[in-house]
Amino acid sequence: NISLYRRLSSGGRVLAGLADADTIFALSSGHGRCGVAVVRISGSAAATALRCMVGLGNQLPPPRTALLRSITDPHSKEVLDRGLVLWFPAPHSFTGEDSVEFHIHGGPAVITAVLQALGSVPGMRPADAGEFTRRAFHAGKLDLTEVEGLGDLIHAETEAQRRQALRQMSGELGRLYQDWSHRLKRTLAHVEAFIDFSEDELIEEGVLDQVDISVCDLQAEIKQHLKDERRGERLRSGIHVVIAGATNAGKSQRPAAIVSPIAGTTRDVVESALDIGGFPVLLSDTAGLRDSPDLVEQEGVRRARERVQQADLTLLVVDSTILPSGEQEAAALLLEHLRSVLSSQDQPGAGRCLLVLNKVDLLPEAHREKLNLGLRRVSGLPPVCLISCQTNEGLKDFLTVLQSNIKTMCGDPLSGAPTLTQARHRAHLQQCVAALAQYRRYRDSDLALAAEGVRLALTSLGRITGRVGAEEILDIIFKDFCIGK
Amino acid sequence: MLMKKLPPVQSVLFLVSRRASQLSRQRYDVIVVGGGHAGTEAAAAAARIGAETLLVTQKIQTIGALSCNPSLGGVGKGHLVREVDALDGLCGRAGDWAGINFSVLNRSKGPAVWGPRAQLDRQRYREFIQIQLFYLQAELLSTPRLTLLEGSVEELLVSDPNPAEPGRHRVTGIRLANSSQLISASSVVLTTGTFLSGSLFVGRTASPGGRMGDAPFMNTHTRCKPEEQLPCYLTYTTPGVERVVRESLHLNCHIQQDAKGPRYCPSIESRVLRFPGRSHQVWLEPEGLTSDLLYPQGLSMTMPPDVQLRLIREIPPLHRVEIHTPGYGVQYDYVCPTQLSPALQVKNTQGLFLAGQINGTTGYEEAAAQDHQQGPLLDGSQTTTPNEESYIGVLVDDLVSRGVTEPYRMFTSRAEFRTSLRPDNADLRLTMKGFELGCVSAVRHHEAVRVNCSLQNAIAALQALTMSSTSWRKKLLGISMSENKNQTLSGMDLLQYKDVSFEMLASVFPECLSPYMEFSQRLKIEAVYKPHYDQNKSEIKRIQREENMSLPQDVDYFTLPVSLSQEVREILDRFRPTTLGAATRLEGMTPAAIANLFKYVNLIRRQESTMSGKQMDHEEEGGEEPCKRNASLPQ
Repeated sequence: NISLYRRLSSGGRVLAGLADADTIFALSSGHGRCGVAVVRISGSAAATALRCMVGLGNQLPPPRTALLRSITDPHSKEVLDRGLVLWFPAPHSFTGEDSVEFHIHGGPAVITAVLQALGSVPGMRPADAGEFTRRAFHAGKLDLTEVEGLGDLIHAETEAQRRQALRQMSGELGRLYQDWSHRLKRTLAHVEAFIDFSEDELIEEGVLDQVDISVCDLQAEIKQHLKDERRGERLRSGIHVVIAGATNAGKSQRPAAIVSPIAGTTRDVVESALDIGGFPVLLSDTAGLRDSPDLVEQEGVRRARERVQQADLTLLVVDSTILPSGEQEAAALLLEHLRSVLSSQDQPGAGRCLLVLNKVDLLPEAHREKLNLGLRRVSGLPPVCLISCQTNEGLKDFLTVLQSNIKTMCGDPLSGAPTLTQARHRAHLQQCVAALAQYRRYRDSDLALAAEGVRLALTSLGRITGRVGAEEILDIIFKDFCIGK
Repeated sequence: MLMKKLPPVQSVLFLVSRRASQLSRQRYDVIVVGGGHAGTEAAAAAARIGAETLLVTQKIQTIGALSCNPSLGGVGKGHLVREVDALDGLCGRAGDWAGINFSVLNRSKGPAVWGPRAQLDRQRYREFIQIQLFYLQAELLSTPRLTLLEGSVEELLVSDPNPAEPGRHRVTGIRLANSSQLISASSVVLTTGTFLSGSLFVGRTASPGGRMGDAPFMNTHTRCKPEEQLPCYLTYTTPGVERVVRESLHLNCHIQQDAKGPRYCPSIESRVLRFPGRSHQVWLEPEGLTSDLLYPQGLSMTMPPDVQLRLIREIPPLHRVEIHTPGYGVQYDYVCPTQLSPALQVKNTQGLFLAGQINGTTGYEEAAAQDHQQGPLLDGSQTTTPNEESYIGVLVDDLVSRGVTEPYRMFTSRAEFRTSLRPDNADLRLTMKGFELGCVSAVRHHEAVRVNCSLQNAIAALQALTMSSTSWRKKLLGISMSENKNQTLSGMDLLQYKDVSFEMLASVFPECLSPYMEFSQRLKIEAVYKPHYDQNKSEIKRIQREENMSLPQDVDYFTLPVSLSQEVREILDRFRPTTLGAATRLEGMTPAAIANLFKYVNLIRRQESTMSGKQMDHEEEGGEEPCKRNASLPQ
């Protein structure tokens, strides 16, 4: 049916374009000191640049073969470096255009010299942020989920992030969404057929029953996919771990923050990005939670509470010296403390919080043992770690517990169904589920409105795979890229 | 009886129709060639707008003839008839006049996809169309605007290409057959589509699937009273029918040829071959109040007449049937409509318009609708009906931007904004715009304004009625509401509930709602669809933005300095989309190509605006003394 195709494919809306006539170049490997640096060139003048900077005797090298050559300045003929040269003729390159790569030594002087020499070749200019990927996308080399996967890859600062980015780039997530999209198209086609043709007796009986089933299935599958508790997104943007507790319990001692022994020193939230066991962690240190007449401190406490609300994991630090010696009494006090800190958190769930009892070096040995063993038996308490930031006692065990918690929350990026990595994906999938609910709501009273639900669901899904309404996302994606890729 | 009530229309038409030599003038604003559904609508619309119009047709007697089945409307098609009617076209009113059985198809599927349908009396339909044209050409109008001419057109007169715009021709008029006389015109509309004629059979009731006494068709008044309406009957094919089809395959050129037939209106041969072992519906439709012929809807076929008789007699209630006119298939040429602008004007010839089956469509409704796209254009204005506002716009956009690969029929699934383009609100969408363009009478316009005001007032009154859900429950007993106890709901919210009707609300609040009782059904529909309309609005705006980005029409896509793949260049060259929006809907377009086109269009726009800016600078420089005061402004 042509009409359905039109409806389904009236996708690819306006995208923001850039001048593709120029040949662009950039340092594609990271900035800073490194052994080898990769400079990439893409565009019609790439071959010219290769000829005039590398002695090749007017011949282009065989495609996709590394050659060791001297790289010279095209004007002064001065040798800049000796490195590997690769030639990727169009369309078999990353961007789909003629491309050249120079693998040169990583010193800043060499890199600067090569980039300057390239800039002096006519028709060449430095690439804008994300321009290589944009060209690859425009050449049809990548679909949108792949582009986003690549953006994450460039941003991947840790190993686990890199693995998930690779998975997405290979299109696994894209394939999952394409499959849903394919099934939705079929479902929609069935509803439309029923509306337009059932009076003519040209369609089979029971078409709508099939639609009901597949809408139900899709809804369940997408909901299940959404139920990953933000694992993919956490992995992408880092897990928010918040250190909270009463004033002077020793919260700030773990990430070396500047503190003084006067209670209430940390007045605002201090953040730092850490790599814990290969997972990105955004650690926030907060002001001590107490009622204070100091207005600045009150604001700090307010922000601390807000942070705790948003946290993926809260480390509640308690000064172990204030705990009563009896384990029951200690547990009761800790529970009450938990409730007050996590305030509106309905349940201080085990995965959401770790109890860190600090300053255990100040406790008598017997008391310490009692707490350690006793508190583990109390139900309703999150995992308890006894540490001393002064003597580093218990710190290793604490890190192991923390790491295993983080791993659970992120999921193993190499197993199971692909998880969501973009908040944008989540929003569109939620719209999709809601639209499918519209089908079910109107199924019996108004089939036109029910069909509209399926149409909306397809549109929402299409926004993820880049087949529909891509313009608004593209700008954001490409802005996310650093120069060179 | 019938002929006594009405003046002998055909003879009147003969009297006032001209021979070429008697034409009062040699120059017209518009010449319409062809007197079928497209041609009559085009001529009438042009005359309503005020253009001096000449309708040339081979046989004036057959103007308004229903060449296929005697019915109008249906799912999708009914939407088109409503819209033509909202623009004061002929076919809706003709349907009201000639209808002998009115029904609404898809009644159980929601008002957005209801399909108003009328069974027609062939003779009455023709009478009505002819009377309308007679009225427009009658001398009793102070300025007769329509002239009918019997004859055939031999030659289309076209100017040499304009040297300033290579390839641009202009239509200048026509030359009639057997005549050296030239008739000039600024616009010529070709509606020479081939009639897809049906076949007629007589039969007896099998099972009465009556569709009697349903709602009026297009307007509030229909000529046929409910008790006068004739029923349609439903029967089914038998294994005998299938046997006859299989035995006669070698005699059947329909099956042997590979011409592309419509998949949605299959002949009995293809139905039997595609779905063997099944019985298929056959509707026995009356041909008119005074006719004893029946039209067997669902039995179109192309085999020899004796086989047709054998086949139809295999259906038990039709054992003793005789065939009045055997069925036949029609194969015809069409003009690929991608060569047309959205006004249905041939792209390289100004003033030449095509409408109807010549553009690859099928059906009366599709033909009639096309003229209400171009009607306004005949006047030289460039306004068209956009596809987010009407099915007419969807139809034309599909034709000119995608072309056709099989006879084109309207479906509701073709409309992207289906829940907004409903049959019930066609008047609100189109009548006021049509009036501005001049093709809608003052009477119709006045009525549309009245309806619009009343609906707005009624909606305001409903929105002003707010109460807690508890209070509503007390007022309307037996209504199940899912809302929380203390949620405040308006009358408009309540009306969204399946069980709540406007009548119920009006009985509770008679003082403020009873004035709107005549609109009770429309108000109910408005209430149910309003949330979805609000949702659609932003999307419609976005599309309008893209539709407003026009692509140059005379560009060579093969040398365009824009990064486009060869396939995309070929697609663009073949379809020549007029806007970026139309380009995005082409099959095979890639997002990258759209992005690059977008960039290109923006570049042209910038260049144009800087050029016009320079001109202004220039004017200022060459301007008179007062301009010099501007020179002191900081640059």
